[in-house]
Amino acid sequence: MRVKIVMELEDVPGQLLRALEPISRFGGNIQSIMHQRERKTPLGRLPVMLIFEIGDRARLNRILAALRSRGIRVTQLGEREGAVRTTVLLVGHIIHTDIRDTIDRLNAVKDVMVSDLSLAMGAPGKESSARMTITAADEKRANLAISKLQRIADRKKLLMITSLGGV
Amino acid sequence: MRVVLVGFGNLGRGLSRAFIQKASFLHRSYGLIPRVVAAVDEFGAVVDEKGLDLARLLEAAEKKGTVAAAKGGKRGKLAIKVIEDVEADVVYELTPTNIKTGEPGLTHIKRAMRAGKHVITSNKGPLVVAFRELDSLAKRCGVEFRYSASVGGAVPVIELARKLLAGNEIREIRGVLNGTTNYILTRMTTEGAPFEIVLREAQELGIAEKDPTLDLEGIDTACKLVILADSLLGMNAKLGDVRRTGITRIGPEAIRLAQEAGQTIKLVGIARRGSLEVGPKLVPLGHPLAVGGTLNAVTFELDLAREISIAGFGAGPKETSSSLLGDLIDIHRTLGG
Ligand SMILES: NC(=O)c1ccc[n+]([C@@H]2O[C@H](COP(=O)([O-])OP(=O)(O)OC[C@H]3O[C@@H](n4cnc5c(N)ncnc54)[C@H](OP(=O)(O)O)[C@@H]3O)[C@@H](O)[C@H]2O)c1
Repeated sequence: MRVKIVMELEDVPGQLLRALEPISRFGGNIQSIMHQRERKTPLGRLPVMLIFEIGDRARLNRILAALRSRGIRVTQLGEREGAVRTTVLLVGHIIHTDIRDTIDRLNAVKDVMVSDLSLAMGAPGKESSARMTITAADEKRANLAISKLQRIADRKKLLMITSLGGV
Repeated sequence: MRVVLVGFGNLGRGLSRAFIQKASFLHRSYGLIPRVVAAVDEFGAVVDEKGLDLARLLEAAEKKGTVAAAKGGKRGKLAIKVIEDVEADVVYELTPTNIKTGEPGLTHIKRAMRAGKHVITSNKGPLVVAFRELDSLAKRCGVEFRYSASVGGAVPVIELARKLLAGNEIREIRGVLNGTTNYILTRMTTEGAPFEIVLREAQELGIAEKDPTLDLEGIDTACKLVILADSLLGMNAKLGDVRRTGITRIGPEAIRLAQEAGQTIKLVGIARRGSLEVGPKLVPLGHPLAVGGTLNAVTFELDLAREISIAGFGAGPKETSSSLLGDLIDIHRTLGG
């Protein structure tokens, strides 16, 4: 089943890894991680939304127990079906080639949304990298979005790195 | 079995050491007694139909840089002469890879087959250039042809698929097939260091060549993919059929972004009937292809078994001798030994 949780992490290095470890240990397959920086709590904690695939309820309970024992607060928990997510990386002159335009074009595809974006600037004069999570209503839409992004990447001379095994 | 070694570099020597080390084991377990009756390198050859003393041969070659320096050796004696004239059962073709012409390996292999000798090779060149031709020539000449070491080094990729998965239809083959690029990607992951620095380190350690183009541009991976496609998927692919992207644009930033999403970046070759592709891919951490260092890994997608993965050392004289020796034992068994 696919599970969505929102948890609150202290905004210091290493916290995310601490939270992810039990999920992979109990066989969870993490599909998406979204920092909700704009929703920082008054105590300075950072809500992080996670979506992962897990075999059964028993494993999910073990994950939740492990998170609790690590002092990580889970504020939302829900099972969800339907939406397909895929992660891609882009390498190149991402800002100069107008990342906003790239995203707008993807969002223009019906039932497709860029749900997460992280940028990492390269050293001066070097290429930058971006990670994008694309959420689509189903696999067909997701594949459509990927091929559209590939065409945009080709035109903008960006290297696009997709997930093994596609969507 | 009388054996000729054509090429006495890393692999020729590694195999000779394995023959020495495993002599009584091979005899006991398989009734196999490999007798090296000739060794050839670029400078010359040494022949002894009663069987060469391998320890002496290794010593001479290591000291003087050529097998011709061994007792009874002749400078200037050509591989082709030895292949055709010396009485032998199996020719090991272990010369350097040339992916454009396949030579000198291609000629060596053809001549050996026409002379009725079984062939074992680690050399990708002849396979990439002329797989179909060599495969049917072997059949026409009634000889065995093995090339386990050409893909995956010590990892028995081809034989696993051929023998143990023989009841399956292979839908897709995905592989991390190049140790050099995998090392670079791994070091960028663990050190967060820039590409150029990690590459230089790899060169200093002898993991990357002085001219690392074939590795970095994914050409070596593409060659191995062609061999897998031709030998396991029944294709007749050429290097030009592979869509290919290398890893030179990938930096530590991209890898960090991948890691934050629970993924890592690997240079992956993907073969499906009618589609061959090499490029960097996001691979989930903990996935069978997410192997570190110079390791190689392959996943088969199959109709019955669904997915089977295998990983191990993709190069090294000792490691690769496992495949070279395995091929000989396999031929020995096939012939009823
Ligand atoms: N090393 C590995 O771990 C590994 C793993 C898998 C596959 N392979 C492949 O296996 C093959 C051998 O690898 P290697 O590492 O042993 O290479 P190597 O150390 O360069 O040895 C090549 C040998 O071939 C000889 N040679 C070159 N031209 C020749 C000719 N025209 N006639 C006869 N001998 C000739 C060389 O002689 P001189 O020394 O006199 O020039 C040398 O003895 C290559 O195709 C390589 O790609 C290697």
